[in-house]
Amino acid sequence: MSDYDFDRVNILLAEDSQFIRSLLVNSLKVLGVGNVYPVEHGGDAITFLQRVKNEPMKIGVQNIDIVISNWDMHPIDGMMFLRWVRRHKDSPNRFVPFVMITSYTEPERIKQAREMGISDILAKPFTIKNIGEKLVSIIERPRQFVHTSEFFGPDRRRQKLEIKGAERRLLTDKSEGVEVIRG
Amino acid sequence: MASNTPVIVRFYRFQNKLKEKTAGLAPGNASISVEALEAAQEALSKMSEDYPDWVSSIIMKLQEQHGRCVDTPEMRRDCFEEINHMAHDMKGQGGTFGYPLITSFADSLYGFTTSVAGEISDSQVELIKAHLDAMRAVIRGRVSGDGGEIGLKLTESLGAAIESYEAE
Repeated sequence: MSDYDFDRVNILLAEDSQFIRSLLVNSLKVLGVGNVYPVEHGGDAITFLQRVKNEPMKIGVQNIDIVISNWDMHPIDGMMFLRWVRRHKDSPNRFVPFVMITSYTEPERIKQAREMGISDILAKPFTIKNIGEKLVSIIERPRQFVHTSEFFGPDRRRQKLEIKGAERRLLTDKSEGVEVIRG
Repeated sequence: MASNTPVIVRFYRFQNKLKEKTAGLAPGNASISVEALEAAQEALSKMSEDYPDWVSSIIMKLQEQHGRCVDTPEMRRDCFEEINHMAHDMKGQGGTFGYPLITSFADSLYGFTTSVAGEISDSQVELIKAHLDAMRAVIRGRVSGDGGEIGLKLTESLGAAIESYEAE
């Protein structure tokens, strides 16, 4: 078994607390992440991603592999930022893995974030082990993206569960109205 | 797609480029080494030592805002909003660094400054100060954990301040 090489990984980190931000930057660096780009809030994060799209050579960043963002930030919070990443035409990569950091872990809030298309949640207070696990999960268990009239984001079904009784899901990959895009 | 059926759902299935980038193309599982995790945890703990300084710097900023509330009553609403943001920032990680009392006091300050209706009274401004005093005592005395007797005393005296305000 070999170790991951995070040296070529680019992470965009949006966190408004300067203390937590430098804490996360350092932790990621020590784990071996090659490039961490810290910004102060969702607005700065959006500006950064626009530059990645429009002038990658100038800022020296071709793409962002993972976004880690705090939820509660001012003036642009993590949810608004996530919405932009997933839905805006200027977003350089609407499929980028998006980890939301939050101290609010009530089921309702988590559900809200899931409906908006988060890839994962990092709950505060976090440990290094938590951060490592999120990275591994993103690398090892990426989910297909689902696009319907009501939803766009990583598949909300993480597991393939055995169903008792009849299969009532109507659509398969072969059904009319289902389009599978591979890349 | 030749049919005229409108698309109901689109599935996007991509190659796992991130895995190629981090684990190479060779089959087999990669992992994060125990050494790397330990080194990172150590770095985190090292930074945690700076936590009291960070809290102190925020308490100073909170103090400034409190001063503005006293000096310029017409600015109180803005100040309360600032204080509310800072309190939120503080309450998140106190527990991680061994100062749950900071989290608890910051949480109380946050709740108290969230959506304040009507005019902000002098006693409400006073209550800000009670919170700051309690936090300062925690940091000055490096009262970690639940703080034992000192912690209990601080929590009680802040509780009493809040009660007397609510009784008004």
